[in-house]
Amino acid sequence: MLGYIRNRLFSLIIVLIGVTMLSFIFSNISSVDPAEALARRSMLSPTPKQIEEIRKEMGLNLPIYQQYLNWLWGALRGELGISLLTRNPVAADLAEKLPATFLIVGLASLWIIIITVPLSILSALKKGSFFDHTLRMITIFGISIPNFWLGFILLVAFAIMLPFFKVVDYGNFKSLILPSFTIAIPMAASSIRLLRATILANMNKDFVIYAKARGISNSRIIWQHILKNSLPPMITVFCQYLGYMIAGSAIVETVFSWPGIGSHLVNAIIGRDLPTINGCVLVIAVLFVFFNLLADLVNSMINPKMLNEKGEF
Amino acid sequence: MKNSLEIKDLNISLVGNKNPLVQNLSFDVRKGKILGIVGESGSGKTLTCKAIIKLLNEKVFKVSGSIKLDGNNILTMSEKQSRAVIGKDISMIMQNPMTAFNPMMKIGQHIVETIKAHTELTKKQAYALGSSALEEMNLQRVAEIMNSYPHTLSGGMLQRVMIAIALMLEPSIIIADEATTALDVKNQAIILEQFQRMRDIGIGLLVVTHDFGVIAQVADDVLVMKAGEIIEQGSVYQIFYNPKTEYTKELLQSRFLVDEEQLCLV
Repeated sequence: MLGYIRNRLFSLIIVLIGVTMLSFIFSNISSVDPAEALARRSMLSPTPKQIEEIRKEMGLNLPIYQQYLNWLWGALRGELGISLLTRNPVAADLAEKLPATFLIVGLASLWIIIITVPLSILSALKKGSFFDHTLRMITIFGISIPNFWLGFILLVAFAIMLPFFKVVDYGNFKSLILPSFTIAIPMAASSIRLLRATILANMNKDFVIYAKARGISNSRIIWQHILKNSLPPMITVFCQYLGYMIAGSAIVETVFSWPGIGSHLVNAIIGRDLPTINGCVLVIAVLFVFFNLLADLVNSMINPKMLNEKGEF
Repeated sequence: MKNSLEIKDLNISLVGNKNPLVQNLSFDVRKGKILGIVGESGSGKTLTCKAIIKLLNEKVFKVSGSIKLDGNNILTMSEKQSRAVIGKDISMIMQNPMTAFNPMMKIGQHIVETIKAHTELTKKQAYALGSSALEEMNLQRVAEIMNSYPHTLSGGMLQRVMIAIALMLEPSIIIADEATTALDVKNQAIILEQFQRMRDIGIGLLVVTHDFGVIAQVADDVLVMKAGEIIEQGSVYQIFYNPKTEYTKELLQSRFLVDEEQLCLV
């Protein structure tokens, strides 16, 4: 088990190097010169000499591998550089923005679980019923809705036409509800499909028939036998969703003017703020890989069959 | 001797389809006797077993007739009543031990949940009862088995665990549906020995198989099924030495043909 975690952490490092390298290369092949962009922001008409000085100051005159190594060396010591837009250390900005994103993603995960588990069980148990068909239509609808559109519709419906919520709001529980729902609904819709299918597949397994033959109660069969065996694929997908939700929070956060890492990243991209872009990509990649690792660990804890005698997968 | 499980005019068909899958089945399983049911695949053996312990989905299968355990008709019982009987008074040994256990639960948890479903025993008492049931099956290191997950045990061991579970609540009837099919010869012999032990302690046993060898070794009486009907029934001697129908003769012959071929190879 420990060996497995060690291997996964090792592969995590490789993934992170790859991701940050790509983010570096892509920002460099873009046609906009960040030094010039910054100079034009702080001065009205910068001379080529001034631009050159800024370039030197930012280290942009060095070859790209040198820039990357410098950044990597800084990142290892926790220094992600200074943001060109806010003039704050990138790490400090991220530390300030991340909790806001974690809040909506955390609440969205809660909605996903609350919505998915009972609805999937019900629709699997009542397979072919009116409820099942209706839920199927709703979930297909939910899967196909784009996030930003849903966000705007919710805003129009519940902040403008029925003013339960404020259009721009931050800092209280009420302000969390609309954005977290916007993120949760498409995810919940697709996980209902998945969990329902897994439950149905498990309902006719030998061990369920044997449990019935032993006279075990229906509720225990559902919770202890069927649901428990249906969880592993759900956990894997759910942890991937966590990564997607953080990475994909950009759109929803922009719609709801939510000061999280997603809208921060969008602003950085628009403003050619290279250190911030690289910092955001690093954090998002770390979280993504971490949640995948978490999925495997949780699965191995609840499903002993996934581990062999040596404690490996 | 008192009849323990009486089945009368059992008919099984699919809902919305008149063609019966099992037709006018009547037989008794008596305490202290072993009744063997033989027949080819699709003859309705397993369907009959499932009907007895109410495993058939009511939306799919229509079951009529009566299945009486000590005089009480299981088919007309409420779900609560039948669940109290099934697993306690009638227990079942399944065909495939490797997949019959929940892969995420330890053997001990299976045993304890079964006992707790039918008795008022505490978890500790249930655990002790389960351990002694496993010991009676000549299993070694019982505590270790109780604490292991199904996939870490062999098919033969799991089958013995299943028999222990079937026996521990002292049922009057045990149904064994192809219980030896998935096992090798050595484990088969162990299981068949256990069947004889069950008979000796007064349990009525219904052994369903397509293997005449199993029948020859343990059964007292035999039913031969074909296409959902009983086509011949009698004592094991009658069936083996004086089969009346062509079908039974063919079934018997097919087995002996194989045996002769095996002899030739030796």
